Amino acid sequence: MMAEHYPTIPQCAAVATALKVLLWPSYRSTDFEVHRNWLAITNSLPLKEWYYEKTSEWTLDYPPFFAYFEWLLSRGAQYADNGMLAVKDLNYASWETVYYQRATVILTELVLVYALYLYAQSSPPGTKRQSHAAAISILLSPGLLIIDHIHFQYNGFLYGILILSIVLARKSSGLLASGIVFAALLCFKHIYLYLAPAYFVYLLRTYCLGPRSIFHIQFLNCIKLGLSIIVVAGLAFGPFVYYEQIPQVLERLFPFSRGLCHAYWAPNVWAMYSFTDRVLIYAAPYLKLPVDASAVQSVTRGLVGDTSFAVLPNITPRATFILTLGTQIPALIKLFLRPNWYNFVATTTLCAYASFLFGWHVHEKAILLVIIPFSLIALKDRRHLGAFRPLAVAGHVSLFPLLFTTPEFPVKVAYTIFWLIGFLLAFDRLAPASPNPRYFLFDRFSLLYIAIAIPLIAYCSLGHSLVFGAKYEFLPLMFISSYSAVGVVASWVGFLVVFFTS
Amino acid sequence: MPPHTPGSYRPRKKRTASELASASSNGTVSLDLPTKREKPAFPLAAFFWPIKGTPVSQWVVLSMILMAVGLFRWVTGFWQYSGYQTPPMHGDFEAQRHWMELTVHLPVTHWYFHDLQWWGLDYPPLTAYHSWILGMLGTYIQPDWFALYLSRRSDDEGLKVFMRATVIVSELAVFIPAAILCIRQLARLHNINSWESAIALTAFLMQPATILIDHGHFQYNTVMLGFQLASLASMLAGRRLWSCVFFVSALGFKQMALFYAPAVAAYLAGSCIFPRIDIARFIGMAIITVASFAALFLPLLLGTAFDVYRGIPLPADAQAPPLLPAIPFEIPETAWYQPYVVQLLQAIHRIFPFARGLFEDKVANIWCAVHASGIHKLTVYDSTTLSRASLVLTLAAITPPCAILFFRPRANLIPLAFAATAWAFFLCGFQVHEKNVLLPLLPMTLLLGTSEGMKPAIRAWVGYANLLGCFTMFPLLTRDGLRIPYAVLTLLWAYLLALPPFSLSAYAPSASEGGPHWFSKVAHLSSFIVMLGWHAVVAFVEPPKDKPDLWVVANVMLGAAGFGLCYLWCLWRLVGESGLLSVFERKAKQVEKKRQ
Repeated sequence: MMAEHYPTIPQCAAVATALKVLLWPSYRSTDFEVHRNWLAITNSLPLKEWYYEKTSEWTLDYPPFFAYFEWLLSRGAQYADNGMLAVKDLNYASWETVYYQRATVILTELVLVYALYLYAQSSPPGTKRQSHAAAISILLSPGLLIIDHIHFQYNGFLYGILILSIVLARKSSGLLASGIVFAALLCFKHIYLYLAPAYFVYLLRTYCLGPRSIFHIQFLNCIKLGLSIIVVAGLAFGPFVYYEQIPQVLERLFPFSRGLCHAYWAPNVWAMYSFTDRVLIYAAPYLKLPVDASAVQSVTRGLVGDTSFAVLPNITPRATFILTLGTQIPALIKLFLRPNWYNFVATTTLCAYASFLFGWHVHEKAILLVIIPFSLIALKDRRHLGAFRPLAVAGHVSLFPLLFTTPEFPVKVAYTIFWLIGFLLAFDRLAPASPNPRYFLFDRFSLLYIAIAIPLIAYCSLGHSLVFGAKYEFLPLMFISSYSAVGVVASWVGFLVVFFTS
Repeated sequence: MPPHTPGSYRPRKKRTASELASASSNGTVSLDLPTKREKPAFPLAAFFWPIKGTPVSQWVVLSMILMAVGLFRWVTGFWQYSGYQTPPMHGDFEAQRHWMELTVHLPVTHWYFHDLQWWGLDYPPLTAYHSWILGMLGTYIQPDWFALYLSRRSDDEGLKVFMRATVIVSELAVFIPAAILCIRQLARLHNINSWESAIALTAFLMQPATILIDHGHFQYNTVMLGFQLASLASMLAGRRLWSCVFFVSALGFKQMALFYAPAVAAYLAGSCIFPRIDIARFIGMAIITVASFAALFLPLLLGTAFDVYRGIPLPADAQAPPLLPAIPFEIPETAWYQPYVVQLLQAIHRIFPFARGLFEDKVANIWCAVHASGIHKLTVYDSTTLSRASLVLTLAAITPPCAILFFRPRANLIPLAFAATAWAFFLCGFQVHEKNVLLPLLPMTLLLGTSEGMKPAIRAWVGYANLLGCFTMFPLLTRDGLRIPYAVLTLLWAYLLALPPFSLSAYAPSASEGGPHWFSKVAHLSSFIVMLGWHAVVAFVEPPKDKPDLWVVANVMLGAAGFGLCYLWCLWRLVGESGLLSVFERKAKQVEKKRQ
C-alpha cells in the first residue's frame, strides 16, 4: 500500500465544505438570480422556448448542456421551494432558494474533488507529493471560493470536468475519453473554447496521427474521435437543430456587441493599454498628441463598460482575435513537434494566457482558466514555480473587486492571504531544483511584486475612501487591474521563457 | 544580548529541530499497524502534518491558525443573532447595543439607573466601560446606530457588521493572546513540543460552543473568559499577582466568573501555606486584589464626582438601591459620600439579581432537571429555601476540588480543579443560564494541551463535554435561527478531533492501552446515540400538544446527567493526579518507574 499524504483530499474537502456552508448567507451577485432564472426557464418552459425567453434580462446564454444541467437541478428545486421556479418572479430569493442553490454548488463541486483525486493518484511515483499539494491548492483555491461560494457560479463543477479531461489525456488509452469529456465541457460553457487549440493539436498529433510519422494517419482513431464529438454535439445541439433555432442559440452564446473591456477590468493587456491612455490624457498637451474629447468624457466619468480611447488608437475585435491566435501559435507548434502530456498542459496554459491577455471582453473570472491548468505543472521545478508565483498573487488579487460589500472583505482578504502563505511556502519546499539555471532578476521581481500587493490592497480597500470619499471610484479598480495585469503579463513572459528553453 | 537581570529575566527556551521531531507525547500521532508508519491520530493533526518536524517559523504557524479560526468566527457572524426582528424585547444583541447607546449618551451616574425595564445595565463596570469605548467608536462611524432612544430595536445591516467586528476585536485583544499564553505555559509545564501545542491551540480555539454563543448568538463572553485564561496562564507561570489582577478583571467584566472564584481563592491561598507559610505573598496578593477592585470602580466613582460637581440629579424614576437600608449605619441624604455609596450599591444590586428565580428557562442543571422532569416540582418552595438549598449543595460540590487545590496548590492540577469547580456551580448553582456551560468547558478543553491530553482517554471526555454542551444549547440556538451554524461548527469540531458521529477511534483502545474506561465508553456512546436520536425526533416529530416542552426537557435531562458525569470525571482525575490517596500515590509511583 502506498503512503498517504496528509492532509488528504477528502479531509480538505470536509473542512472547506464547513466554511462554504457557513458562507451561505453571504453576499451573492446577480449571477445568483441568473442561475435561478435558468432553473425557472428550464423547469417551466418547453425546450424550444429556452433560448427565446426574455422576461428577465438574464437570458439563457450558456450552451445546451448547462441548460440540461439546470433542468436537472430544477427537478430537485421543487422540493426545496417551488417559488424559485416561476419565470415571472424576478429576484426571488427565499431562504430555501438560497440554501438550495448554494448547496448545489457545493455538491456539484464533488466532480472537482474526484478529478483532483484522480490527478494525484495518476501522477508518476516521484512526483506524488508535489501533485498532492497542487491538487489541494486547486481544491482550496480562493478563486473558486470567491467566485463560486460567495459571488455564485458553478466553476468548481466545470473545472472539475476540465481537470478530468486533462488527467484522462495522461495515458494514451484515455485520449479518446479526454476528447469526449472536453467536447462535453464545451457544451457546458463555451469559454473553454479558449483552450480548444491545445486540445485540437494534441489529439490530432497523438491520437489521429502516427507516433513516428505524421503522415501515418490513424483513420480508425480519426473516425472514432470524429463520431464521438459529433454525438456529443448532437446530444447538446440536436434538439435545437430540429427546431431550427441554431442562429438564435449562437446569437445568445456569442454577443459581439459588448465592449473591449468588461465592466470590471480584467487584468490583461487592454487594462494596461487603457491605463496608459488615461495617463496620456494628462501628458498629451505636452507631447502634442491629438485627444478625442468625447472619449475623455467617458474616461473621467469612470465608465469602463464601453471603452473608447482618447489618445491611443481604438481596438477592433479583429485585432484582438489576431493577437490571441498569433500568441498561441508558437506554443502549439512546439506541442505538435513534441506531443507529451507536460507540453500539452503547458500549451493549454499558454492558450489560456493568450486569450486572457488579448481577448475581447474578458471577464476577470477567466483568470482561473490560466491558474488552474498552470497549478497542475507549477511544481515541476523551481523555474516553473518562479513564473507561477506572480500569477497566484495577481490572479487572486484581481478578483477582489468582485466582492465589494463590507462583511465579505475580511473573508476574501484573510482567505487569500491564508492560501498564499500556506501554498507558496509549501510549494517552495516541494518544488525540485531545475536542470536549467534560474533567472535571478525574475525572482527578485516576484518578491518585490508580492510585497507591493499589501499597501495596494490597503489603499484600495480603505485608504482611497479615507482620502477621496466616494469620488474617483474607478481609481482603486484601475490600480488593482493594472497591478494585476503587470503580474499576469510578467508570469506569462516568465512561463514562455521556461517553456521554450526547457 | 540583553543585559542579564536576575529575577525577572528568563532565558527563552530554544526549540531545536531534534525536539520538534521528537516522538508524540500527548496523542497526536498514531501508528499504522500494517505499514508501521506514523499517521495523524485525528484529522486536525493531519492538517499540521506538512509542518511536522520542519523548521517553519512559529509566527507563520500562529498567524495561519489565527486566520483560519478568525474566518470561521467571522462567517458565523453572517447568520442571525439573538432577537433579530423579534419583538417585544429582542435579545442579547439589543442589550449589548443598548448599553453602548446609554453609556455614550448618559452621565455616568445614570448608567445603572437608566430605564431598567429595557435591558437595564446589569453587568459589572468593566462591561460598561467596554460598551462606552465601542459606543464612542460606533457613534463616530454612524451616529444613528446609537442615537439615544431612537436607535432601539435597530436591525441595520451596517450595525450588525460593526457589532460583529467588535466581538472579534475584543476577542483578539483578550481571549486569543491569553489562550496562546495559556497553552504555551501548559506546554512548558508538561514538556509538549510546539507542534503538538499548536494543534491543541487550534482545537481549543475551534471550540464550537464559544464561537456559536459569541459570534452567532451575540455576547462578549470571550472577554471574560480571556481574562480568566490570562489569570490561569499567570498561575501556571507562577505570577500570582498578575493572576489576581486578571481574575478581578474577569469578575469585573461579567459576574459569572464567580464560578471560578472558589478555585482561584483555594489555589492562591493554598500557595501561601503549602509547602511553607508565606505571609508576604499573602499580603501582596491581598493588596493587589483590593487595588484591582478599586481600579475597577474608580472610573465609575470619578464619573460620579464629575456629575456631583455638575449637579446632575439621578433620573426621575430612580429608586434607592434596596441594599441601602441593609447598611448598619445611617447615611444622611446630604452627606458628601452619599452619591458614591448609592452608585456602588446600585451597581452591586444590578449585578447580583437576588430576586430572580432559581433557574431561568430550561438549563441542563440539577434543579431544572429535577423540576422539569416531574420528579419533584420545586415551585412548592419559596425562593429563600431554594436559594439556601442551592447554596448548600453548591458548597458541598465545590469543596472536594477546592480542598484538593488548597492542600496541593500545584500548577498541573489547575485545569482539572477549575473544571470541577465550574461544573459544580453550573449543576447546583443559582440563576444559571444554558450559556454558562462555556465556563466549565474552558478549563476542561485546556486539558487537550496537557500531557497525554489528546490521547483517547482525555480526548474522548473533552470531546464529550463540548459536544454535549453544544447539544444543550440547541434549543437556544434554534430560537436564534442558528441551526445550520450549530450543525456545521459542532460537526466540524467532532470531525477534526475524530469523535462520534464521525469516528469511534477514541473509543477503540482499551483502558490499559490508554483508552477511556469501559464505563466511560458505555456512557459516552449511549449519550451520543441518544443525542442523534433526539435530533431525529425533534426534526420529524411534533411534541404532544399538552407537553410542548417535552423535547427540551429531554434535552435538559440528558445534559444534566452528562454534565454530572463530567464533574465526577474531573474530580476523579483530580484526585488521581493530586496523589492525595495513597492508593493513587502508589500507582503514580509505578507509572513514574515505568516511564523512567
